[in-house]
Amino acid sequence: MGGLRVAIAEDAAVLREGLVGLLTARGFEVVAAVADAEALAAAVDADRPEVVVVDIRMPPTHTDEGLRAAIELRRRHPGLPVLVFSQYVETRYAAELLGGGADGVGYLLKDRVAHVRELVEALERVAAGGTALDPEVVTQLVGASRRTDRLDTLTPREREVLALMAEGRSNAAIAAALYVTPRAVEKHISNIFMKLDLPESETDHQRVLAVLRYLRS
Amino acid sequence: MSRTIGPAVGTVGGPAAACDDRAVPVDHHRPTAPLPSPAGAPGAAPPVGPPPDGTGRPGAGRSWPAELLRAPVAWRTWRSVVYLLAAAPLGSAAFAALAAAGLACLLAMPLALVGVVLLGVVLHAVREYGAVSRALAAAVLGERVPAPRRRQPADRGLLPWLRAALGDLDGWRAVAFVVVSTPVRVVGLGAVALAAGTAVALVASPVAWLVLDPTKVAADGTVHRSIVQFGDVYVDTWPEAMTVAALGALGLFAAPWLARAAAAVDVALVRALLGPTRLVARVESLEETRALAVDDTAATLRRIERDLHDGAQARLVALAMHLDMAREELVGDAVDAERVGRARTLVERAHRDATEAITELREVTRSIHPPALDRGLDEALATLTSRSAVPCRLTTDLPVRPSPAVETIAYHCVAELLTNVAKHSGASRATVAVAVDGGVLHLRVTDDGAGGARLVPGHGLAGLADRVRTVDGWLTLSSPAGGPTEVAIGLPVRA
Repeated sequence: MGGLRVAIAEDAAVLREGLVGLLTARGFEVVAAVADAEALAAAVDADRPEVVVVDIRMPPTHTDEGLRAAIELRRRHPGLPVLVFSQYVETRYAAELLGGGADGVGYLLKDRVAHVRELVEALERVAAGGTALDPEVVTQLVGASRRTDRLDTLTPREREVLALMAEGRSNAAIAAALYVTPRAVEKHISNIFMKLDLPESETDHQRVLAVLRYLRS
Repeated sequence: MSRTIGPAVGTVGGPAAACDDRAVPVDHHRPTAPLPSPAGAPGAAPPVGPPPDGTGRPGAGRSWPAELLRAPVAWRTWRSVVYLLAAAPLGSAAFAALAAAGLACLLAMPLALVGVVLLGVVLHAVREYGAVSRALAAAVLGERVPAPRRRQPADRGLLPWLRAALGDLDGWRAVAFVVVSTPVRVVGLGAVALAAGTAVALVASPVAWLVLDPTKVAADGTVHRSIVQFGDVYVDTWPEAMTVAALGALGLFAAPWLARAAAAVDVALVRALLGPTRLVARVESLEETRALAVDDTAATLRRIERDLHDGAQARLVALAMHLDMAREELVGDAVDAERVGRARTLVERAHRDATEAITELREVTRSIHPPALDRGLDEALATLTSRSAVPCRLTTDLPVRPSPAVETIAYHCVAELLTNVAKHSGASRATVAVAVDGGVLHLRVTDDGAGGARLVPGHGLAGLADRVRTVDGWLTLSSPAGGPTEVAIGLPVRA
């Protein structure tokens, strides 16, 4: 990849500059770096970025401006990939963001910025219309799910695979993360789908959606 | 009433501050509900009150001869008369109704619950009468008495309602009010009417004497040309007639005081029996200040969270990010001089992030609890004043050490006041004086700036005032336009 046009909204100057430096060094083209939601909306209209990175907490109230801006942006520009950052995981925020569809949506903790490679991968995945959820977000979604009886039937390994699937990872990525063969991952996945009674899905992405829908229902 | 003249003076404090009319009470939080029980609660006064010398002196009140001469035409007099004219019939009607209702209750007692329920209804109605009486005092005399809080039944249904109604102390106090105040009103009004009528008659008597030319026959058969007589003394000469008229004139100046006294007694009864009891007033004051304390704590926590989130936390994320980027530059086969150079730049940036994070963390921790405070308020204040942007002179006289909570509040007050001085006053010097006297920690912060500081709800000074109230302290502000500005704070040493 490379040359992907990114708009950044982050109110802490030190992080904003850091992100610009990092993404530029990784071959992204940062078309806008702004400090609040209003400026972001203007920048998106003017510069037509291919993906937007936005901090949830921004002025003036420092609560969830960024999240509301992200939801509004996706309403105005359907399909616009958005990656939101937060210092904390808020299950409600994740649910609101995913409420409008999980394709092209990312929700990462700010800690993730410190893992440059993961951040870049997540950004690329989101830009390509995929999903990138922070492991913490997934843990909370699983914890908040009311389907505990079904989830309890999963083996520990299957739960790990489920979590990685929910993060938006591909089979290959899951296999690499768990140090198992892709075939073993496929086996776990079909077990999970069977136990949770989910429809078989063709693509990685449909699979993520199925899992997220399951966890939120 | 005295009116403050000269510098704008505001006081915010506990009940004692409110009942002190030397200073203008400023209550930003409940404009509709005056501070508890001004006249009625000397015993409930918190341990601390504003300084006895009073930062706000009374305005030049009228001298007493002037007051005496003005009495017959004074607003206050006629308000009192109007009040009595309205209150006496109202009270009589209520008294009669209460007597009838009481009798009805008594008669209905044998009918199982009926009498008791009737009693509950009567108590409710009497409370309403109390509300009318408070409204009358407020409307005519401007004497605002806060309503006692209404007790809600614990549950739905007749029995809980009855329990609440019959156990309602304020209802029974209102009954007492009807019983006690009605005679006061009726007798008061009667006395005023009699006094004023007699006085007018006496003043007019020489004219009547002249015009009517009355003749009176005494018991011994002598005939007197007199209209006024005191026992055997017949007023039948000019000097005597004029003396009588002068006496009447004196009466005209005395009668207003009778009206005022009667109204004042009635208002005192309204306060004593229709206002919240002393204990309730204190509880309400405590509830209010506790709410302030809770809000203050929440706001403080929010500020600290914001400072950490926007400051140190963001810096640490940037630090980790820069370190990770540097590491990536140093990983792999083709690590050339250029990549090492980039890595060095990134490490330098990371180092800067780390130092800035340390600075920001130090600021935050100091704002939570200045370490110097552990060694005493005077040392902490010495550090604080030496760092003040405006040159500041500090004097301390602390023979006893206040409790830690009071020290912390005092420290934050001085810190915030000095910040205000630096930001808003344009002052060239400031002074901070701290002294313990009679169980009270007095803080006085002055500056020679432009003055004009005000207690605006929701802003710095009012916030400080709220904070000191949480420990029954008070804050007064004197800041005339053109300066100087002086903020005085009193805090109980033990809180």
